[in-house]
Amino acid sequence: MELEWNCNQFRSRKFSESGSSLLIRHSLMAESSPIKLRRCDSACVSAVSMEAISALTELEDLEKVYLQLCNEEKEVEHELEKLMGQQANMDTKMLSLHRMGPNLQLIGGDASQLSGMITFTCSLAENVSSKVRQLDLAKTRLYKVIQRADDILDLKFCTDGVQTALRNEDYEQAAAHIHRYLSLDQSVIELSRQGGESSAVDASLATLQEAEQRLKVLVAERLDEAVAKGDLAQVERFFKIFPLLGLHEQGLARFGQYLCSQLASKAEENLLLAVGGDLGERRAALLFADTLTLLLEGIARVVETHQPIVETYYGPGYLYMLITHLQQECDRQAQKVVDKFIKQRDYHNKFQVIQNNMMKGVSAERIEPRELDPVLLEVTLMNARAELYLRFLRRRMMSDFEVGDATALPGIVQEHKDSVEKLLKHCKLSQLMQELIGYYIPMEEYYMRETVSKAVAMDTYEKGQLTSSMVDDCFYIVKKCISRALSSSSIDCLCAMINHSTSVLESDFREVVYNKLRQGFPATTLQDIQRGVSSAVSLMQSSLQQGKFNTLGIDSAEVAKAAFLVTLNNVEVCSENISTLKRTLESDCAKLFTQGAGAGDQAKIDSCLSDLVNTSSKFKDLLQEGLMELNTTAIKPQVKPWISSFLSISHNIEEEEFNEYEANDPWVQQLIVNLEQLMAEFKAGLSPVIYDTLTSLMTNLVSMEMEKTVLKCTFSRLGGLQFDKELRSLVAYLTTVTTWTIRDKFARLTQMATILNLERVTEILDYWGPNSGPLTWRLTPAEVRQVLALRIDFRSEDIKRLRL
Amino acid sequence: MNPLSIVWEKTRVNMEDYDYLFKIVLIGNAGVGKTCLVRRFTQGLFPPGQGATIGVDFMIKTVEIKGEKVKLQIWDTAGQERFRSITQSYYRSANALILTYDITCEDSFRCLPEWLREIEQYANTTVVTVLVGNKIDLAEKREVLRQRAEEFAESQSMLYLETSAKESDNVEKLFLDLACKLIREAKQNTLDNNDTANAMPGEGKAISYLSCCSTN
Repeated sequence: MELEWNCNQFRSRKFSESGSSLLIRHSLMAESSPIKLRRCDSACVSAVSMEAISALTELEDLEKVYLQLCNEEKEVEHELEKLMGQQANMDTKMLSLHRMGPNLQLIGGDASQLSGMITFTCSLAENVSSKVRQLDLAKTRLYKVIQRADDILDLKFCTDGVQTALRNEDYEQAAAHIHRYLSLDQSVIELSRQGGESSAVDASLATLQEAEQRLKVLVAERLDEAVAKGDLAQVERFFKIFPLLGLHEQGLARFGQYLCSQLASKAEENLLLAVGGDLGERRAALLFADTLTLLLEGIARVVETHQPIVETYYGPGYLYMLITHLQQECDRQAQKVVDKFIKQRDYHNKFQVIQNNMMKGVSAERIEPRELDPVLLEVTLMNARAELYLRFLRRRMMSDFEVGDATALPGIVQEHKDSVEKLLKHCKLSQLMQELIGYYIPMEEYYMRETVSKAVAMDTYEKGQLTSSMVDDCFYIVKKCISRALSSSSIDCLCAMINHSTSVLESDFREVVYNKLRQGFPATTLQDIQRGVSSAVSLMQSSLQQGKFNTLGIDSAEVAKAAFLVTLNNVEVCSENISTLKRTLESDCAKLFTQGAGAGDQAKIDSCLSDLVNTSSKFKDLLQEGLMELNTTAIKPQVKPWISSFLSISHNIEEEEFNEYEANDPWVQQLIVNLEQLMAEFKAGLSPVIYDTLTSLMTNLVSMEMEKTVLKCTFSRLGGLQFDKELRSLVAYLTTVTTWTIRDKFARLTQMATILNLERVTEILDYWGPNSGPLTWRLTPAEVRQVLALRIDFRSEDIKRLRL
Repeated sequence: MNPLSIVWEKTRVNMEDYDYLFKIVLIGNAGVGKTCLVRRFTQGLFPPGQGATIGVDFMIKTVEIKGEKVKLQIWDTAGQERFRSITQSYYRSANALILTYDITCEDSFRCLPEWLREIEQYANTTVVTVLVGNKIDLAEKREVLRQRAEEFAESQSMLYLETSAKESDNVEKLFLDLACKLIREAKQNTLDNNDTANAMPGEGKAISYLSCCSTN
């Protein structure tokens, strides 16, 4: 469509164009004749005009042509004169051109000469530059020659120097000479030997090599001697010489050996002192942790004091090698300490007993959890010390590597990092600690489970208190165990204990509480009868419970009631305590992470903690179940008959009865009193939050039961008014006892009261549909009809006729 | 405390970036290739010369199965004896266990009953266990015949799969099949729970350990 339109437009434009071109053609034709004429005037005056003239017959025309011709003649003459005037000018120009001719030839010659000159200069320049290159080459060679000469001179100097120095036992000097020799370009020396003066150089070299060998042997011997003597000054003196001879590894190995022997003797001394000596009572419990600490601190101090020497004389990156040597001794000594610890503390045996206990449940031999306290503490302390020590070593080695790694390839940096990690993670010390922790975890778990079950067994409840001792005790124990695991600085150990705590809380402890709730809230005998009437199932239940009462008596029923309420409070506190515990642990762990644990470790702890906090909601579910149970066993059987007693109060009343009700309230006041009494027990025994939830359940029950009951009644106009009054009193009372919004729960009942209060059936239409205003009807049209039908004075035809 | 807050918490769980969260724990002797299986699956790597795992490692991978986002929390444990008590503490909360052995190492196969005893003792009764024979790329060194392993797995009512972390054989399948099975079980579980809840209101209903995995 659009396309077509465009085409049309285009066509019409074409059309108009052709129209305009036609127009132009016309105008051209009109103008063509005078133009032609003029062209003839200028190009071929006589021929054309002659024909024209001869054709002319009229005088007037002739005159006109004549005049025209005269004018033209004048013009031509004028033009001719102008051209003639220019002739002189032209002549001068031609003249000057003629004069320029020879000059141009000259310029041509000059130009070719210049070109020749440039070519020559160019080749000259090339020549010169090649000479310069040759000169440069010569210069560098000369420098090399000088260097070589210098080297040879140095070599000679070194040769002489080494010998004198060796003679004077100046090993530092000798080593300096050897170092100079070693740092000479080996290929140059090789070349020199091939050259003319080979014999002299060879001799020097031989001397030097011999001196080098001698010096190496000598220095090693002297160092060994010094090591044997324990002469630190001499040890350090010779230790410094090794790198000059290119024997970094050997030097570090011997020095490490020296330091190890020092450490070993000190450590043995400490261990002997620990086992034999009588330290104070207080430290005796931590004897082995202390001994291990002394060992590790000793090594750390050695590293700290000797790091500068290694850095200065060996350069960066060599600390790792020294520490590798030291760690071997550390592992040996730590093994001894740990072995002694295991033996003296009967560690493995304790573990075995516990293992048997946990596996089979009952066993002849048992360990009092309290007895484990000191050993558990000692183990965590040992691990914490080892972690601290390993962290120290990691920091030192990494910073030592970093100096040299600044320019190194990333691959090498990673390699250094990996070798440090490998050394620290797989050293015997780490392995020993992992083993100790491996035994620690089941022991701590045993400690926790046993102590928790003891706390449960010893549960006491003091009158007037909402919760019993069990909750606080259990959380104290759990927190203590996790904190102890945390104090070991081992993330895996901490996570394992968090997992076990989750298990203890979720299975063991929750089971205890669950079983207490399962025992149910005891009902009183009167209720039992009522319940028995209402349902066969509860009859069976109550008879069972009655049986229990007979043996236990009323007092024990009271105790059981209190116990149930206390358990509910306990459950709530548990769920809160778990959340608190998680928060506390999070902030405690944050401290651990500032000491440099990785991101993966953080994720592990977070995951374990989130499992822990999930148990909190399981306790919440339990609380909910408990409240439902309380509602069904203690509240519902009481409230139901109170509300159904509404049926016995006639609401089909006249003025007289209405007034009498006004004077002596027949039902609602008693109900309120009853509810008040019923709830008073719970208000005293339950925490405010739980009580509030229970009240909410109770009000739900009341509104539901009321609704059912009202639908079974019949009302007169005044009966409706009476019901409205009663409902208002009830809602007013319930509003005072709970923080929940009551009005919403009673919305349906209130609307029923409104309907029962109508003057006429059709009055409902003033409130219904478009007239409802802010009121939202909770009753369906069918229900509205049902309620209207309760009024005996409303005719069913009217109700049927209603359009709702 | 109040019923509304519980409802709110459930919707909040659903608003997180996954529909299901499962914990999978890998166990088995040292050096059978647990870490390599995990790294192959989570990072697509096969690091040669993998050192022994210290304690436990923890990785997360979210996969999509039939349009549902499944977050797999994979716990890679150390096989060495001294870490046993650490790894044991993870059994109870695991939805699935991957019991791994090395097909080229008879010893690692012979230890399986011992591992099963551990599972019996520490794990949840509803846990899904998969037996995995790793290192099938070293077929010429095989010491444990496939049929033998299959029979063993069947006798213990375990799933069985042979994998190669190096060649990436069956690794995806292992974890994805497991995720599918866990989803099925979780759905079944919620269904059962709803049934019991409907049947006996007010009566103490079993609380699912998979309650975090409520269906949408």
